[in-house]
Amino acid sequence: MIEKIFLILMVVLALITLNTVKLRRAVIYLGIFSLVSSFVYLLYGAPDVAIAEAVIGSALSTVLYLVALKKYQVFTIYYTNANYNEIHDGYIIKGRAQILRDVERFFLKREMEPQIIYTTDDCDYVLSAKNFDLLIHQDYDKVKMYGCIEDYHVDAMQDYVAKNPYENLTVEFVRYEAGDQIDA
Amino acid sequence: MRNSSEIIARMTGLLFPFIIMFGFYIILNGHITPGGGFQGGAVLASVFISRYLVYPDEGIRIKSLQSAEKALFFCIVVIPVLFLFANNYKSNELWNQIYLISMNMLIGLKVCSGLTIIFFRFVFYEGGK
Repeated sequence: MIEKIFLILMVVLALITLNTVKLRRAVIYLGIFSLVSSFVYLLYGAPDVAIAEAVIGSALSTVLYLVALKKYQVFTIYYTNANYNEIHDGYIIKGRAQILRDVERFFLKREMEPQIIYTTDDCDYVLSAKNFDLLIHQDYDKVKMYGCIEDYHVDAMQDYVAKNPYENLTVEFVRYEAGDQIDA
Repeated sequence: MRNSSEIIARMTGLLFPFIIMFGFYIILNGHITPGGGFQGGAVLASVFISRYLVYPDEGIRIKSLQSAEKALFFCIVVIPVLFLFANNYKSNELWNQIYLISMNMLIGLKVCSGLTIIFFRFVFYEGGK
């Protein structure tokens, strides 16, 4: 009985892994999948294989995949808001600013891995001290986006915004030269 | 991951001795219970990898690990040959056990250093950043 439950769980986890949009979540689901499969090995009387699967499948390969994702595809987006005192957490977690949802969807479509960091730090501080790919600064309905001038993803983003302008938001792009920003 | 979180650092520090103990347990009891050199070595390698999660910027001395791995590989080749020529493995039970445990230990340490080298090379030398 318990075998069948875990076998079905394996199939479900595999399907979830395939259908997840974000790559990083898919890696985590893959780790859970190999943990469950190691338990199934144990139930079928192969403890040797179970140990190897548990260590390699869910520890080593998960960390390796995460490092690889961090190296190549993660696009760091900082989001600062000039009026952060007036925003409560629910607005950020549940509602999401409209612009952020669009930016995230845009980068997901390009098979990137957007990593959005909300911060209450000042815009200028983030600009000078943090290592980012795109900085979004919002002041009520004025949105400024800072990006490196050589980053072609930001180019595409600029085109995208120019083609689909917002009704109530004015979006302005600021491009800085490469090397201006200090690598933290 | 530049500034690692304190929760992860503390928990990993708490778990370190247990992981090492578990790894050596798997290696040393490999000849009577499930497990063995490879599995125990992989557990020991996960110690170094979780160390990377705590201190992502610090490397380890890969050169010395590489020479250790070479020495271990030499031992793995030489010891069975010597054991074969000693020719007392049919009669003596104690010698068999010593042989099995020492071989498991050598293989475990070699797997540990090999996986650690692979991981740290991948992290620090491959790719752009």
